[in-house]
Amino acid sequence: MLVGGLLVLLLLAWTAWTLTRLSRLEGRVARAWTALDTQLQRRAGLAEELARDHPAAVGSDRAEYLAAFAADARRPIDGDRELAENALGRELRELPQNLPGVPAALRSDLAGTTTRAALARRFYNDAVRDTRALRRSRISRLLRLHAGRPLPRFFDIEIPLDGAPADHNHAENPAR
Amino acid sequence: MRIGLVCPYQWDVPGGVQYHVRDLARTLRGMGHHVEVLTPAEHEDSPADDFVTFAGRAVPVPYNGSMASLQFGPLSAARVRRWLRDGHFDVVHVHEPAPPSLSLLVCMIAEGPIVATFHTAFVRSKVLAAWGPVVRPWLERISGRIAVSDFARRVQVEHLGGDAVIIPNGVHVAAFADGPTLPGLRRGVDGPTIGFLGRFDEPRKGLPVLLDAMHTVLRRHPGARLLIAGRGDADELTAQIGEDLRASVSLLGELSEEDKGAFLRSVDVYCAPNLLGESFGVILIEALAAGAPIVASDLDAFKRVLEDGAAGVLVRRGDAAALGHALCDLLDDPGRRAELSARGAEVAAGYDWAVLARRILAVYETVVLPGGPPVGADDDPAEELPTAGRRALSSLLRWGDG
Repeated sequence: MLVGGLLVLLLLAWTAWTLTRLSRLEGRVARAWTALDTQLQRRAGLAEELARDHPAAVGSDRAEYLAAFAADARRPIDGDRELAENALGRELRELPQNLPGVPAALRSDLAGTTTRAALARRFYNDAVRDTRALRRSRISRLLRLHAGRPLPRFFDIEIPLDGAPADHNHAENPAR
Repeated sequence: MRIGLVCPYQWDVPGGVQYHVRDLARTLRGMGHHVEVLTPAEHEDSPADDFVTFAGRAVPVPYNGSMASLQFGPLSAARVRRWLRDGHFDVVHVHEPAPPSLSLLVCMIAEGPIVATFHTAFVRSKVLAAWGPVVRPWLERISGRIAVSDFARRVQVEHLGGDAVIIPNGVHVAAFADGPTLPGLRRGVDGPTIGFLGRFDEPRKGLPVLLDAMHTVLRRHPGARLLIAGRGDADELTAQIGEDLRASVSLLGELSEEDKGAFLRSVDVYCAPNLLGESFGVILIEALAAGAPIVASDLDAFKRVLEDGAAGVLVRRGDAAALGHALCDLLDDPGRRAELSARGAEVAAGYDWAVLARRILAVYETVVLPGGPPVGADDDPAEELPTAGRRALSSLLRWGDG
């Protein structure tokens, strides 16, 4: 009897604690998504500005593509944001290196925004991973602690973290 | 930006993480940010910059093959709460939060954006496999994770369940690049000299291999000298050196920060014969910044810093003959030394604190939402137990509604 009561108490305490964790994680995922969305929107905006105001530096063909991809990233026609962001990212990476005639402020804005978008994507996916790990645990599934909420999705876009002397990810060199 | 840094190791004891936090704090302050540091200290009256707050003493405990600074209890928690509430930080940046330390305590108490830097790369997987799940509920409050190396990142991924961006350790490049040399030891003039720096009584630093290699070096360069700097038992070392080498080896003892720079600017070649267990190798970056050509063993961390041999000569670890020949070849070839020196300066520039602090700021700016509230502290559970219970209950009900 006593043991049974103790077990129920423990289970209740554990449930309350897990719910606190879940709601905290929900907040973290939401904040990380806001950060990622902000940076991606800003990137699309800067790409549009670049295409509109400096078509000569970009090349007029490219400028058209860039404007189209940027618009699609803001409002993906087929609803696939990841695909649209990837297309825009690829287009931005293929721009000429020094962009003659483009103000330094715009160039550094674009570089800074790309870096921050890469960080934000990493942190968002981290938050999603932590949430999914907790939601997957057996007891939280059994008790349906998620209360029918959708599982947060990873946001998989290709956006390299640049500018790092050691920020490439080659594992131990098998040749040695 | 208002930034709160947390160092889990005692401030008045020398150590890599302490230096990292100190240099980061000074660099960010130099850029005009408001930075404060919370750290344990052995002695409350130890001298420190005025932006440092001491959070009491920590008790060293063995953790994962090295020592962690255990710090819990109501006194520490109260100091953490006060520091967080008084600081009004936009972001709190804890260092090495996985061991049971001040950093973990801050993760438990702080409410708001937390960034963490993971330094450890030595892993006893059994310890971490058991410990990781225990601290997970608090580590999952961290919004942005940084690892100082690929190895530190791997610890994250494999044992603590998360990914991290890599931002390496920094050095103040200018402090090593410019300045005097040690008296009577100018590079390229009073030589040839080979430098070694580190705890010479630790076998993993590899000094015995270098001493062995010196026999080879002395056959081809009879005037060559080995300069040994660092802590350790000098008598024991003298006995280890042996009669034949004694005239060619000088012990410099432990060096101050300034003397370390002068030492690295003086030597013709810097040698890092380490056998294992170096997670990063800040000393190599310092040597590169000081323009010293490097011969190092082929540890993964060293290969990374020396760009697989482009910025320094790599030798199979523990191979005294190969080390001796590599040193001789480099001493024979002033052109190659100049080339390595020039490449080294370029590599070191990427590790300058000014560059790295900007990258860390980008992390802060990513986790801090504009207009968000400052970091706060949760309520003291001892005083607020009834509230905590009510809160848990209400979160239970709220969650059910959604």
